[in-house]
Amino acid sequence: MVREGEGKVLPGVGVEVKQETEKVFTWPYLVRIEMIGMLLYLVGFSILSIFINAPLRNLANPEVTPNPAKAPWYFLGLQELLLHMHPALAGVLLPAGVLVGLASMPYFDRSRSGIGVYFSTANGKAIAIFSFIYTAVWEIALILIDEYLNVLGMPEGSHGLGPLLKFLLTPALGSQIAAFLAEVIMPIGFILLIPSLLVAIVKRVWKADMREIMVALYSFFFASFVVLTIVGSAFRGHSMALMWPWEVGHPEEPLQ
Amino acid sequence: MDGIWAKIKATNFFKSIYRNDYPDTPRSRVQVILNSVLLHLHPVKVPKSAVKFTYTWGLGGSSVLMFLILTITGVLLMFYYIPSIPQAYFSIKGLETNVTYGMFLRNMHRWTAHGMVLLVFLHMTRVFYTGSYKPPREFNWVIGVFLLLITFLLSFTGYLLPWDQLAFWAITVGSNMAGAVPPAEYVGKYVRFALLGGYEVGQSTLIRWYTLHVIALPLTAILAMAVHFWRIRKDGGISSPGESGDVKE
Repeated sequence: MVREGEGKVLPGVGVEVKQETEKVFTWPYLVRIEMIGMLLYLVGFSILSIFINAPLRNLANPEVTPNPAKAPWYFLGLQELLLHMHPALAGVLLPAGVLVGLASMPYFDRSRSGIGVYFSTANGKAIAIFSFIYTAVWEIALILIDEYLNVLGMPEGSHGLGPLLKFLLTPALGSQIAAFLAEVIMPIGFILLIPSLLVAIVKRVWKADMREIMVALYSFFFASFVVLTIVGSAFRGHSMALMWPWEVGHPEEPLQ
Repeated sequence: MDGIWAKIKATNFFKSIYRNDYPDTPRSRVQVILNSVLLHLHPVKVPKSAVKFTYTWGLGGSSVLMFLILTITGVLLMFYYIPSIPQAYFSIKGLETNVTYGMFLRNMHRWTAHGMVLLVFLHMTRVFYTGSYKPPREFNWVIGVFLLLITFLLSFTGYLLPWDQLAFWAITVGSNMAGAVPPAEYVGKYVRFALLGGYEVGQSTLIRWYTLHVIALPLTAILAMAVHFWRIRKDGGISSPGESGDVKE
């Protein structure tokens, strides 16, 4: 391994002195970009702040629950997951797992090749695009199934894979074990299956190396965040039912 | 005009502020970076590939800018905000109607807060796709993930402060999620209690989240950012294609 700043390496080991990167002065070549960027952001956000006001609803009232009650937009992906699985899984274990997974990426992907180049390899970009579409298709399909799957005999108003599994297993296993299988074990199965299958596909089709596997997995995470956030914010209305964005409207809330 | 400017530049006072000439020679371009507390966060020279805008999209720097705007507008908001129930709500109402530029101030804080969450997330995505998390920068990536978490928490704690229906119920939803830490009866229950300072969202929640929002989390963020920026330099500067890995083998 050649560490940054120790370019000279023993001859005959098959390692060469690294190429000198072409450099430019920070002043003015970087400082000017920062200056222009700063001005553009300041002007942009000022214009935004002149024309669009931050929302302020009625005084908080614990007696009156708006329908739907939504978290800020960046948590709506997690709130979307809450509709499909046990809250401990959606709200705690999964986000914690994602943060730990993200942080540990460089400890699995140790190679130094492909640094400084978008998607690193010739296949990287194709893998990223494939992973994004693959993830979006899976998640949209599962969301639709959970919203509309309703087998005759299922309890009134319940729909989706979890409730169906619970409905089918309760007579044999009792409601507690059935609920555990439906709300915890089955979702964990999907959470593991979707990225595992993705990795298997990119290994098979593109002979993916570790970096390319990471590209696939990050794209899976990125697409999940994007898809779930959009569904949670724009497609969930009254009672968190699935609907078109123009039907969502403002949360219903009695006047005080 | 040039004459007056030349005279100002010749004063001891001016020269005590600006130690060197306007940076237009290689020597003064080195000096300006070394002699300025803000500019010396940068190295004197950077890879040519890194100043190409479409490489970084300026996302890391933009995140810092959001933090700066949020700090300034946040301090100004603190002059008017009362972290108490129900005055919190009415202090925001008063800010919007009775304070000159009060609405603008609040809007600026709100929209840059959303901007920061978005930009930090996109910055992480840029760093990932350019392979800049790879060794030797692995620990700085870890600090970055931590900063993403702090950014979420900063935004979320601020969400409660206006004490309107939007705030109250978003925080109720959020703290119920945190209350699900398994096993919920033994751990989650106490996590939720600690976050709320009680069994439901109330005065003790507001003062806790206010303290987290204006002091505890910003200080944590500043500390983590200091390490983050320092480590960029110590881990070999901004990533570029000319790095060691490819020449190996």
